[in-house]
Amino acid sequence: MASSSSSGLTFKLHPLVIVNISDHYTRIKSQSLPPSTTPHAPSASNVADAESSSPPQQSPRVFGCVIGVQRGRTVEIFNSFELLFDPLTHSLDRAFLEKKQELYKKVFPNFYILGWYSTGSDAQESDMLIHRALMDINESPVFVLLNPSINPAQKDLPVTIFESELHVIDGIPQLIFVRSGYTIETVEAERISIDHVAHLKPSDGGSAATQLAAHLTGIHSAIKMLNSRIRGLNHYLLAMQKGDVPVENSLLRQVSSLLRRLPAIESEKFQDDFLMEYNDTLLISYLAMFTNCSSTMNELVDKFNTAYDRQSRRGGRSAFI
Amino acid sequence: MNLNMNSVETLVAQIHGLSGSISDINQLHSLLKQSEDLFQSESTRLAPLLTELDPFMHSLGYLYILDASTSAPISKEQASELVLSIARFINLCAAEQIRLAPDKFTSVCKRFKDQVMLLEDPMRGVAPMLTAIRKLQLSSEHLTTLHPDFLLLCLLAKCYKTGLSILEDDIFDVDQPRDFFLYCYYGAMICIGQKKFSKALELLHNVVTAPMSILNAIVVEAYKKYILVSLIHVGQFSISFPKYTSSVAQRNLKNFSQPYLELANSYGAGKISELELCVQAHNEKFEFDRNLGLVKQVVLCMYKRNIQRLTQTYLTLSLQDIANTVQLNSAKEAEMHVLQMIQDGEIYATINQKDGMVRFLEDPEQYWEKRIFCVDSTDVALEFCFRIMMLSRKLTDMDEQLSCDPLYLAKAGKERQRFDFDDFDSVPSSKFTI
Repeated sequence: MASSSSSGLTFKLHPLVIVNISDHYTRIKSQSLPPSTTPHAPSASNVADAESSSPPQQSPRVFGCVIGVQRGRTVEIFNSFELLFDPLTHSLDRAFLEKKQELYKKVFPNFYILGWYSTGSDAQESDMLIHRALMDINESPVFVLLNPSINPAQKDLPVTIFESELHVIDGIPQLIFVRSGYTIETVEAERISIDHVAHLKPSDGGSAATQLAAHLTGIHSAIKMLNSRIRGLNHYLLAMQKGDVPVENSLLRQVSSLLRRLPAIESEKFQDDFLMEYNDTLLISYLAMFTNCSSTMNELVDKFNTAYDRQSRRGGRSAFI
Repeated sequence: MNLNMNSVETLVAQIHGLSGSISDINQLHSLLKQSEDLFQSESTRLAPLLTELDPFMHSLGYLYILDASTSAPISKEQASELVLSIARFINLCAAEQIRLAPDKFTSVCKRFKDQVMLLEDPMRGVAPMLTAIRKLQLSSEHLTTLHPDFLLLCLLAKCYKTGLSILEDDIFDVDQPRDFFLYCYYGAMICIGQKKFSKALELLHNVVTAPMSILNAIVVEAYKKYILVSLIHVGQFSISFPKYTSSVAQRNLKNFSQPYLELANSYGAGKISELELCVQAHNEKFEFDRNLGLVKQVVLCMYKRNIQRLTQTYLTLSLQDIANTVQLNSAKEAEMHVLQMIQDGEIYATINQKDGMVRFLEDPEQYWEKRIFCVDSTDVALEFCFRIMMLSRKLTDMDEQLSCDPLYLAKAGKERQRFDFDDFDSVPSSKFTI
């Protein structure tokens, strides 16, 4: 099922699709969680029981359609919607799909059905049936696969895009899935809204302090990443200057255009406001440190008085330390 | 005798030989320590040996010989020469070497100071002492035994500015408590001389609230000056001590400074006549303590404060009215006072000489002076933040150290209630020795 695609198509995926798929999956999974059953010893007579109780470990697969635009060799996947999967016929609900397609056409006249999505760790044989079924809407649909298992070691997105190709295997021409590379493409408005949705804190997310801490941690990690990237670029440019690395003009042009993006605003009013806010923050942290110091000093003095000052605490019981 | 001189000369040769690297110097140091008595016995004849040694390269050896040769009583003629040679040594010696024998260095410098005072020329001692302090200090926050001597010389020589430069440093490590008391007391006197009353107040406050187990004379004197400076600078004096004052001081200080407390009371009442009466009554006591100058300044401050209080009530006032309210003798005197205050920047007013009216104005730069966080001084703000972070770190370290102190743990353990069902665990009580 592997091997890379040779069709020469470039795929661009919008983050909205990824969020949609993951949202769909999470919803279905949380709705289908069975009530916790007390484990009892399996008995041979409980065949009926075994049948009725579905294994809770297996993650449900969700299905849906992806829509977007195909311009020449570039396939851009903008949006997606959900579909019901009929396990008996192993096919997607056709009538529903067509109705949805009509509705979406009204709002986004440019978007076509480009393919379908599902969840799982790898593409399976049964998926080919669904793929073929969609081939009458789109000659070469794409299959977007999201892997819902969380792997902390994995750095990339757990999303794979498959295409179908006709390969000759054992003398029989067969359609198999081949992986394709893709890039993430986004518009500013989309980025902001996805960011907002992705960072929703739970409503009982603790006091203001933990929320502030979470917010600041996010900013800190973002700045850290920016710093490491810039440092990498810096090293590269230094090496280029020394002559260790061959000079590449296109890269230099890109770097120069990147650097010219900042500062974004340069005016006196901005400077004033910026410095004022900077000073306010410094002042607040100064005040916080001051309070911290005063409280430490207070405790220190108390301890010192207890330890070294004779005759100060003779007799009566003072308050608990 | 000759035998001894020979061994001294071999020592000198060894000093020459062993002044190279750090390990050599350590070896030399132990050698010199062992030959202490040798030096003591030959103290009178060691002086010519000094010419063979270089004060920079052989600082340690030079120091030992110098110390021994100056331990004998010195006559007045020799004193001047000795002062010169010690000053030269201090200027030229190597700091790392002398830090190996700090007490010897301190005793040499103390003798230097004695000689300088004997010659009644404290000015000659100021600069060498400053160099000596800088060389002996392990860091700028270290208070050595030489600090109070240096400040004493500055006071006697009346060169206050040099003394102020030393006072700018924050103190963290103290060698001897007595040094600290003297340092703060002399420092406060220098600040009073320079009219820097806030710093003087802070230093005197440190003396009064320093931890002590018995009362000493320095604290008593400091407390008297503290009352006076607080009246001059702040305008009021509170008798209650902060909680970090030692209980010894809290109980006994008041007994020794009765006249000053009465002065403070009458100042608080606000009437010039009462204040003057009080001053008259205790005149000899003030003179005996040599605080009469300060007391006169207190009286002057009373006038100033009354005039300042007027600015909050009136917008314009005639000079005669001012004289009457503040109980001055004439309008002319009132004009002198107001003029002086305007010059010093304590008041903002204009005097209209034609009709003798004074108009009180707003301070044009009221908040400007107090700014540290303004738009063009972010670096200053950052510096403040860093300083306070260092301080916070030091304080938490000290707090942790003190929590582990066995004395503290013993006493803290004693105070807990005996049968606490929650924790029968290891609280050290006085029954069990640690």
